Amino acid sequence: MVAGKLNEDKFDEILGQSLRRHSEPVPAGFTERMLSQIEEAVQKEILARVVLQERLALAGCLVFGALATIGITIFPGRVAGVLRGIATGFTEQGRAVVDGIGQTISIETVRSEWQLYAVLALVLGFAVYSFVDMLVGDRLRMA
Amino acid sequence: MVEKISEKRQKKKWLRLLRSGDHEAFAEFIDKYKETVFLCCRRLGLREAEAEDVASETFLAVYKAIGRYSGQAELSTWLWSIAYRQGINYLRKNRKQWQLEAELDEQIVRSKEPEPATAIQGRETEKIVWEAVGQLPRLWAMAIILYYREEKSVADIAEIMKIKENTVKTYLFRGRDKLKQILRTAFEEDIDGGR
Repeated sequence: MVAGKLNEDKFDEILGQSLRRHSEPVPAGFTERMLSQIEEAVQKEILARVVLQERLALAGCLVFGALATIGITIFPGRVAGVLRGIATGFTEQGRAVVDGIGQTISIETVRSEWQLYAVLALVLGFAVYSFVDMLVGDRLRMA
Repeated sequence: MVEKISEKRQKKKWLRLLRSGDHEAFAEFIDKYKETVFLCCRRLGLREAEAEDVASETFLAVYKAIGRYSGQAELSTWLWSIAYRQGINYLRKNRKQWQLEAELDEQIVRSKEPEPATAIQGRETEKIVWEAVGQLPRLWAMAIILYYREEKSVADIAEIMKIKENTVKTYLFRGRDKLKQILRTAFEEDIDGGR
């Protein structure tokens, strides 16, 4: 009997109004607790990243050291040659590079002095990485 | 018109701050939406402590993902989908007996007798309606709340609950039908009696 009287729209209206009026209880101090949790999580994440970077750096040192030791033991002449080449490159060929600024560095030059350019590229890459990390690292880590 | 533009600009600015990880903006965000998240958790049947845990997980997930929020969906829809997913994942992990299918809940609803009219007398319509929604199967109740309270479209509800639009329509139809049955006694007082 009543169901027949129930206007569909009226029912929807009462339903919508009643549900919208409802307010859900939230535990007191939830926002503050949440913010401190977020702060903690962010710090943990940054710490984890720093630890990872340190571990990678340590692993890199160990691997490089091991490779250098193996290289010196197995190919002493070649390693000495490479190191000498780098040293010479820095002292003697360095001037040529400075003179070459403003001129095109040919592929041939890069190929013949690849050890020097490889070290320079590594140093330059690390410098760029450090600079970017210093500027936006924290923001990127938080994102 | 001017007010609308300025409101839009303010919202954009607030979103930018949120994306950049600004704590003040995020505190505002939590204040604005904590009720919604708790509502979602409790409607999924989580107990008090569980609801707080899941709400915290939801806001943490939002904080981490807000940078990737494209702005295509409404912010509240995006938040609802995260809260819903977190709640469902929690239930899947911690309550093995919980099933996503509405059938089990449906049986529970069938076995419940409608409340006698005397018990309803004197109570506010809002409370009666809310309690009636609480008697619905969880997924039906969720669809009803999203549609009638949050005013989400069927497509948005489907996106939030990760189900087909037709399933949403079925939940809404069945939920509404069941609510009518449950609320019949209350409306006897309100509509038949007074208006």
